[in-house]
Amino acid sequence: MSTLPEIALILFLFTNIVLVSSSRLTHCIQLVAVQGVLLGVIPLVFWDWQSAAPYGELVFLSLTNIAIKGIALPLLLILAVRRAQVRRELEPVVGYAFSQLFAILIIAACFAGYRHLVDDDTANAALLAIPVAAATMLIGLFIIIARRKAITQVLGFLVFENGISVFANGLMVHHGAIVELGILLDVFALVFIMGIAVFKISQEFQHIDADRLNALGDRQDPENSAAPPAYTWE
Amino acid sequence: MELVLIILLPLLFAVLALSLYRHGEWPLRLLQFGAICHLVLVCRVTLPGRVLAVVSFRGVDLFGLDEVSKLLLTLTSLLFACVAVHSARWYPADQRLGIERGQGPGMRAGLFVACMLGLLSTMSAVLLARNLGVLWVAIEATTLASAPVIIFRQTPRSLEAMWKYMLICSVGIGLALFGTLLLASAYTGPHELSPGLNLDALMAVRHELDGAWFKAAFIFILAGYGTKMGLAPFHTWLPDAHSEAPAPEPAVLSGALLNCAFLGILRFVQLAPPELSGFCRTLLIALGLCSLVVAAFFMIRQRDYKRMLAFSSVEHMGLATIILGLGMHNLAYLHLCGHSLTKMMLFLCAGNISMAYDTRAVLGVKGMFGAIPRTATLWLIGLLLICGTPPSPLFITELFLVMQAPLWLGATVLFLLFVVFCGMTSICLDMVMGPSPTTPPDEEAGKAAESLCSIPALAVVTVLVMGLVIIFFIESSGLV
Repeated sequence: MSTLPEIALILFLFTNIVLVSSSRLTHCIQLVAVQGVLLGVIPLVFWDWQSAAPYGELVFLSLTNIAIKGIALPLLLILAVRRAQVRRELEPVVGYAFSQLFAILIIAACFAGYRHLVDDDTANAALLAIPVAAATMLIGLFIIIARRKAITQVLGFLVFENGISVFANGLMVHHGAIVELGILLDVFALVFIMGIAVFKISQEFQHIDADRLNALGDRQDPENSAAPPAYTWE
Repeated sequence: MELVLIILLPLLFAVLALSLYRHGEWPLRLLQFGAICHLVLVCRVTLPGRVLAVVSFRGVDLFGLDEVSKLLLTLTSLLFACVAVHSARWYPADQRLGIERGQGPGMRAGLFVACMLGLLSTMSAVLLARNLGVLWVAIEATTLASAPVIIFRQTPRSLEAMWKYMLICSVGIGLALFGTLLLASAYTGPHELSPGLNLDALMAVRHELDGAWFKAAFIFILAGYGTKMGLAPFHTWLPDAHSEAPAPEPAVLSGALLNCAFLGILRFVQLAPPELSGFCRTLLIALGLCSLVVAAFFMIRQRDYKRMLAFSSVEHMGLATIILGLGMHNLAYLHLCGHSLTKMMLFLCAGNISMAYDTRAVLGVKGMFGAIPRTATLWLIGLLLICGTPPSPLFITELFLVMQAPLWLGATVLFLLFVVFCGMTSICLDMVMGPSPTTPPDEEAGKAAESLCSIPALAVVTVLVMGLVIIFFIESSGLV
């Protein structure tokens, strides 16, 4: 059994733990970029190079992955952060120490649950990808909930999406190059539009705190209802 | 080839519209022209007796047509053509009034048209997809194409609605991607024969799918595509996005996009191994009932008439899910058709009302019969139809639902439908009846709104004829 896949997966988990405990936005974005690069590497180290297969496609997809998730998206996000003039996530909903503890608990729970489900000792790295993927997805969702800034929520979504990719790569789900490219394109376009949205929100509100976006609801009065009820019973 | 053209043509027109950014009314003409070309193409493709080969690329089936996609594609294309013709006349009026009222001009026509046509293209891709991965990519793309239109006028509220829409839907659809991957892992046969994510191949091996993996996959799919479809408790984005977006957008979102998400769930229901169909049905009925309860709860004393329509969409998606859970597929399709046309027309009317009264508050709208009689008539008829008053097609589907369901389910559904009916009619009567407001709505705005009634009227006539034909001329046994 080769150890490279395990190393890649452990690095991945490590970036998660650092990510939940760092407050500087550029640092967070860099960590997500590292995850993107690792995601490009993972299919290469997981691949059984002895078997005959379409190597060209694999390498191509890997490089595209690194280019989009490791380089293009982080650049876009850094641009959005500069435009919105925010540098730190100052008052997260859940504090950093507790976030870190919680992330470690999530990881432990995922591995424990996984041991509970699969109890053969022959577990290989490919199957190790399942708890790593589950933990990454949960941590991504946790970041979305536990942080206020709109930009951190985008990062949380990216971590969540990375978790899904780890799962796909680990289990060697064969979905065809075109589908994979489609998914990458979608994620890219999504982050692009969200980046623009963050910029517009910062323009309109002078902040990008997503938890203060709370004007809409069913118990609030709709827009312009200040206009008096135009008619009274007489 | 024609199938690819159905997707590429609107995209082409969208690019054209973007490049004609500065040429005033041209993008709007392109919108109508593109929508009508699309409709003609779809009619050609769906002619009875035509068989089209599945378009594949390197072992991945991309696009193909089956009975469901034929029906929903025709519906989507027709509906979009109606909305396109309406938008072309709505847009200039709305711009003019917006400037007069000091709300500023809306989005540029070029960008608006490009997003709408992009939405048409991605929705067609969803309906034609023959691969679960392609289906996912297309559904995510619909979110991307429709989100920018929500900030038509860049207000704080619309930004908030767009942010919620994008974030909630993306995470939801992300869960659906996870579900799709779980399904791919459910295959237990030899590796060489792996079906990948191709629908037809999966259909052929559905007996070999592992039960536990499929169950996990189905739960994630239901949560994921359920978010996009607006099933409670994942519906929270829907009322916000539908109420903040400009009139033509929620008409398409509610009328066509929710159906696309429904198709996503339907594909997985079709793939369920026979021994698991009970499990799927239970989940579908539970989620549908939950949506119905939530919709009924929020419908009472709703203060915003566009939000009321949005909750009505949640209700009807819940009903369609329950019907699907009872195994009556044809009836579910009929329900979707009836709901789409009626809801499209209602959202267009709601746009007219907000144009005339400049408010979305129920309290701000009085005496519509006096001020804007045509819109008022259509609004009243539309709301009665959406509540399932005969001869609405929704009456037929709801009747069969109650007849075929177990007694407890039928009774619960009827009770909740009654609550919805009360909520909607009380709001509606408040709006249309009573003396004309003491300060009449801006006369010119009223006129502009009244001139935008032809498409909603056409839709009402279509729905009425559809219902009458089914009631009087078609043996109902085929539906159940």
